[in-house]
Amino acid sequence: MKRWLLWFLFAPQFFLLAGLWRDLGLPPLDVGVLLCMFLAMFAQRSALPWLLLGAAAGRAIVDEAGLPVQLLVLGIPVAVLLPLRSWFFGQRWIWQAGAAALCAIAIPKLAGLFGRVFQQPSQSASLDLVSVIWAALLLPPLLSVLRWLPPLVAFEEEA
Amino acid sequence: MNRQKREAFPAGLYGMLLFALCCLTLPGIFAPVERALVGGLCLLPRAVSAWAGIPAQAAAEPRLLAQLRDLTEDLHTRVRQYDLDVGAPELLRDYTPVLCGVVASERRGRGGGGGGQPSELRLDHSYAELADCCEFVTKGNVLLGFLQKAGRGEAAEDPPEALARVLLLNHASARSVAAVVNLPDGGSLRMVVKPAAAVDPAPLRVDLWDDPYRAANLDRPGLPVTTIALPSLPGEPPAGLWLGRTRIWGYEAAVGEDALTIGVFVVPPFEPRALSHVVAWRRRADSQTAPAPESPLVALRHQAALEVRHAAYVWDLPGAVHGRHLLSCDGPVPDGAAVVQDGICLGTARGLAFGLGLVTSFPASRQRWNLLLLPQQPGLRPREITGQVVGSQNGIAILQWRGDSFDGVDERLPAGYLFTGSNGPHCPPGLFLGYARSEGLPQDRVEVTTASQSGPRTAEVVVGGGGR
Repeated sequence: MKRWLLWFLFAPQFFLLAGLWRDLGLPPLDVGVLLCMFLAMFAQRSALPWLLLGAAAGRAIVDEAGLPVQLLVLGIPVAVLLPLRSWFFGQRWIWQAGAAALCAIAIPKLAGLFGRVFQQPSQSASLDLVSVIWAALLLPPLLSVLRWLPPLVAFEEEA
Repeated sequence: MNRQKREAFPAGLYGMLLFALCCLTLPGIFAPVERALVGGLCLLPRAVSAWAGIPAQAAAEPRLLAQLRDLTEDLHTRVRQYDLDVGAPELLRDYTPVLCGVVASERRGRGGGGGGQPSELRLDHSYAELADCCEFVTKGNVLLGFLQKAGRGEAAEDPPEALARVLLLNHASARSVAAVVNLPDGGSLRMVVKPAAAVDPAPLRVDLWDDPYRAANLDRPGLPVTTIALPSLPGEPPAGLWLGRTRIWGYEAAVGEDALTIGVFVVPPFEPRALSHVVAWRRRADSQTAPAPESPLVALRHQAALEVRHAAYVWDLPGAVHGRHLLSCDGPVPDGAAVVQDGICLGTARGLAFGLGLVTSFPASRQRWNLLLLPQQPGLRPREITGQVVGSQNGIAILQWRGDSFDGVDERLPAGYLFTGSNGPHCPPGLFLGYARSEGLPQDRVEVTTASQSGPRTAEVVVGGGGR
């Protein structure tokens, strides 16, 4: 129970912290990509739906589109990457960087697609190649640190 | 084995994606869950915002507020002038106008109305308020559609106190209209204009001609089509109202061969999505027994009179250079409510539980806006357009717009002041957004400069009464 409380209390706030990070003039951090990677590669499978809900709710705070669109935008990359987890489980940096780049491209594209279909367009639908590069470079090391800290550590799947 | 199967098929994840699709198809049922969940998550930023400082009171200079008031008044005056006095002086002799705001444009039926466009308007007046009005509804000298009566036809299930519905000419159930086109080489052709199909290239199509042979040789697009009077039929619109311009569908003339006209369509000059004001009409003889007609300017403010404005505080969310704000209001915040600060529309809100809301500023939003442009040059016609912000930086938004073809196609927007058009019941027309200019930009783009502020501040949330 405590781990869920921590997840819903703090995981959505990562999106706001990323805004602060960016306000300081630091390179952009896409928390949506970060959480997608955690869910797809390291999180307990049984906890995935509710972890996804917390992540999507956080993205709904900073993005114009509603919560159901965020569930699809973050959930589909997770659903695609999840079956590949056994291949990724070596946790090689190159896999993680590739997955981060893939998510950083897929998330804006999906946001654009669902924004058009469900009339909920948002600013996050624009693909920024610089952000893709930063995602591939920064997010794997950042995730490796965050995985040892709450609330992510409580949902890490045992090998 | 079972564990392996569970791992291969994460049913919970797929179930959550299915749940998201259900939420999107049945938003009314799941919206309260979303409001409660996201609202609950926003309580922490709301608590933290208490340390961000005391919200500044709205503190625009009285001179600026007076300028804004003058601009809004000028907008109302020019809308009235072009929708009534300049546009339809003949009608004013026999009829009394009722200027109505448009609350929403709706698509009905599969694929919408003719040309795939919206085919119905919801007005800010009820059926009861417009009960003694004629059926035809105009904008300037353009016939738009027909006002419905409560309990009849398409409005059979609507009570008299519901917001009145107008079937546009491209609605599948709209009546056909007798019309005439004056040919450039002299003479005229009479015709019956009816709604086109949703897949057709224009909202209206010509159904019958009085001279099909001459019609088959009609190869020049852009000819104005106007109504003709049929005195023997009750409720027909007056003669001389403009329906639109012709669009020819067929094969162009080749060497040694004539052009082959397959169909003639009519393109109305106004985009239904962009309409913010329309005019219903009472016959003068009828109005002697009816209540005294309201002045057009009063009618224009009809919707404003139904509005309630709630006091609110706005805080920038981290990264708010991207235009996202947290709102705390002393009442519930409806989705799509306009947030106004110092008389300037900041953006629209997404309502959450606990009196909270999330606001996306106009430059940061990517939603489709209905807008009113008041040209800076005095005397120019106000433009009703739809637009979508395609890029923004430092409070300056690049807007991609579509508008009317009243003055011709491929027209560039003049520089002027941009106001909200009709964007639903909680975002009424006439809220100031910024200054728009189009020099040096492609024909379908304008640059809008908005007044951006930062830090915690007071604001007002507009809650319209148009949701009856």
